[in-house]
Amino acid sequence: MATVAARADAVAAAPRAGVFGALLRRGLRDGRTRTLGFAVLFAAVACLQPLAYRHAYPTAADRASFAASFAHNKAVVLFYGEPHDLLTVGGYTAWRVGGMLAIFAAVFGVLAAVRALRAEEEAGRAELVLAAAVGRGTAFSAAIGAVAIEIVALWLATFAGLVAGGLPAGGSAFLALAIACSAAVFAGLGAVSSQLAPTRRAALELGVAVVALCFVLRVIADTGSGTGWVRWATPLGWVEQLRPFIGAQPLVLLAPVGFCAVAVAVAWRSAAVRDVGSAPFAARDRGRPRLALLSSAAAQALRSERLALAAWVVGIGSLALVIGIVSKSVTSLGISERLQRALHDLGAGSVLTPKAYIGFAFGFFVLAVSLFAVSQIAAARHEEIDGRLQTLLALALARRRWLGGRVVLAAAGAVLLSLCAGVLAWLGAVSQGVALSLPAMLEASANCLPMAILFLGVGALAYGGLPRAGVGLAYGLLLAAYLWQLFGALLGVPRWLVDATPFAHVGAVPAAAFQPGPAAVMVAVGLLASLAAVGLFERRDLTGV
Amino acid sequence: MSAIRTERLCKRYGDALAVDALDLDVREGEVYGYLGPNGAGKTTTIRLLLGLHRPTGGSAHVFGLDCWADPVTVHRRLAYVAGEPNLWPSLTGAETLEFLGRLHGGTDRAYRASLVQRFELDADKRVRALSKGNRQKVALIVALATRADLLVLDEPTGGLDPLMEAVFRECVTEARGRGQTVFLSSHILSEVEAVCDRVGILKAGRLVGQGTLDELRHLGAHTVEVTFAGDAPRLPALPGVTVTTAGRSALRFEVTDAIAPLLGALAGTPVQSLTSREPSLEEIFLHQYGDGDGRRPR
Repeated sequence: MATVAARADAVAAAPRAGVFGALLRRGLRDGRTRTLGFAVLFAAVACLQPLAYRHAYPTAADRASFAASFAHNKAVVLFYGEPHDLLTVGGYTAWRVGGMLAIFAAVFGVLAAVRALRAEEEAGRAELVLAAAVGRGTAFSAAIGAVAIEIVALWLATFAGLVAGGLPAGGSAFLALAIACSAAVFAGLGAVSSQLAPTRRAALELGVAVVALCFVLRVIADTGSGTGWVRWATPLGWVEQLRPFIGAQPLVLLAPVGFCAVAVAVAWRSAAVRDVGSAPFAARDRGRPRLALLSSAAAQALRSERLALAAWVVGIGSLALVIGIVSKSVTSLGISERLQRALHDLGAGSVLTPKAYIGFAFGFFVLAVSLFAVSQIAAARHEEIDGRLQTLLALALARRRWLGGRVVLAAAGAVLLSLCAGVLAWLGAVSQGVALSLPAMLEASANCLPMAILFLGVGALAYGGLPRAGVGLAYGLLLAAYLWQLFGALLGVPRWLVDATPFAHVGAVPAAAFQPGPAAVMVAVGLLASLAAVGLFERRDLTGV
Repeated sequence: MSAIRTERLCKRYGDALAVDALDLDVREGEVYGYLGPNGAGKTTTIRLLLGLHRPTGGSAHVFGLDCWADPVTVHRRLAYVAGEPNLWPSLTGAETLEFLGRLHGGTDRAYRASLVQRFELDADKRVRALSKGNRQKVALIVALATRADLLVLDEPTGGLDPLMEAVFRECVTEARGRGQTVFLSSHILSEVEAVCDRVGILKAGRLVGQGTLDELRHLGAHTVEVTFAGDAPRLPALPGVTVTTAGRSALRFEVTDAIAPLLGALAGTPVQSLTSREPSLEEIFLHQYGDGDGRRPR
């Protein structure tokens, strides 16, 4: 008895707060790479935009004519939200930085919450934690607490970036807060999707689908006539309504804070009452065998990826349709040639005719299709992490065949996505009476592919050579190349330096000509990199986590 | 020809030497038990045999084919079951059997159907809803149904219940009856004793003992227990004989060499009873590790 009592004393000596703190630190450690990556990105964007604006529009007159050009240009509004004041650095930054980073922050919120909640449950680690002397409430609040700290880190990074960009501290803090609100709201949504979906991946897809829906709602609010009220229906609209730098509306904060609180409370309640590891959206655990797409490893990979592919098709397709439809409202009436050049420098391209606007918008699809390609490399890496690749490669399947199959599958998916973007943008434009030919739009589709093949090859190479870091490296390179092109010209960086990124060599088809030379180089480099990837992959050990 | 042959096979991960100059020789048609504690290098050996990891030194051949240079040809002739069966959560058992069977190439469907029955697998259940033991059954059925020349089994029964463990032993015995070679990595000594023809004992990446169970028993010490009428006598020190327990009228010896010197010394003492028995596999195993230096690779 004495020993039992002594042991109980020893256990009791570990304070309750110690458990919460240990779980919190664990959560922060798990998310540190992602948090750091997003923080750097946010700080860079926040700092560069105001600098670029000052550089491009030094005088009040420049700014006035720039602002005038956007009064009717719904097309640019589509991407960055409604501008309220483009005459000041703060107003411009709030519009560009806020509009863009609010979306990134939303994705971050979903990623962080799903990683902290559903991923732990799916992997069985939640069970291990809850089997210890840890209550469900403690485990849940530690996970959410870690996400909250990560969001505060993003807020700090954005704030620091804005101040470094020369903006006043008060307004910067509020703009950064508006962006952090987006992260918090969608972290709440991610917490809820983690309760509903059975796997990390399904929860992520659910969460990202909601982000996409909120984006479409914001587009409708910003571009439709008399649809401004829709802005209140989307958390991305709340970020606009906070109006940092242009007559801040702190009361609007009640919306995101309230929403986040309710979402977290719902998730907390669900986590408290349901069976650990269970989910209401789980598919049935039994089924008659369906043998389609099981004839080879590549076919089975398609079977595994089909839902993700469908989600990409729906996302990119609906955005392309909207872009086609709103391209009607783009006009160059009343915009001076000088300003048109300025707009071009701003990276908004020459967005003054429907065709030009679609060409500009397809720059985004070039990025999106490349992101899809890299995401397929990430999916391949997950097969290795989860040990299923070992199961496959112990059968009569050659490594080069497996990796080759995954690369071909990704390339085929990229072709499908590009086609969807071109055809749906064409449908949208033609439905509004815009004169646009289908072949021109198919050319725009094809124009997305060289970049996708390039980054598919680069991603495969990184994965083949560096199993653990490869996927993150590929995503990083892709975003860096894109942002470099976006900001390089704005900042007045020498032309040859801007040209270092492949994104500087993509023609804005259908507005500008397809550039066969650079496209051929990209495809060639992508193919060579893929071959090299297979070579490296065949020479290395399979590597788990 | 040997089914498996390794020569001076080495694998190093950073500073840790997981497999150290390993010479294995598994003959065709035998069931070879590969014994060792956790972390001895059993799974690493298997990854090298499958060509999933690249040897740091030496070579590994299966049926005369180099495991690293020509893995696919090797895999056509073998079937593998991992200790941790990593399968696709959204596929059902039946779908998994079909998929992996097709990837392997040859599958005996009738035999597979009978295995599903014998292992009592609910094949319509999705893998994500299966326990570890049931997932292991799926992997075992895939491997056995290929009727491959060589079965490489890495602790395949860790999650099986005793009834299924018995079915597994039957299947291994049947496989041997058909002339298949079985390489069974395990630390379940009763399983190895029941099905294996020869045994290799791995310690810190090195083979410390190899042979049939009988041969290994000769390597190990016999236990001799003697009781006396009256007090136990004082015996002189004898080569190869150690006294492990000394009671008032009973002695227990471990005899590593011939037993004759001990019998000679006992002549003329009031021996009441004498028993001698061979060491069990467990005693051999513990003997190999009991005097270990504690060095364990990753």
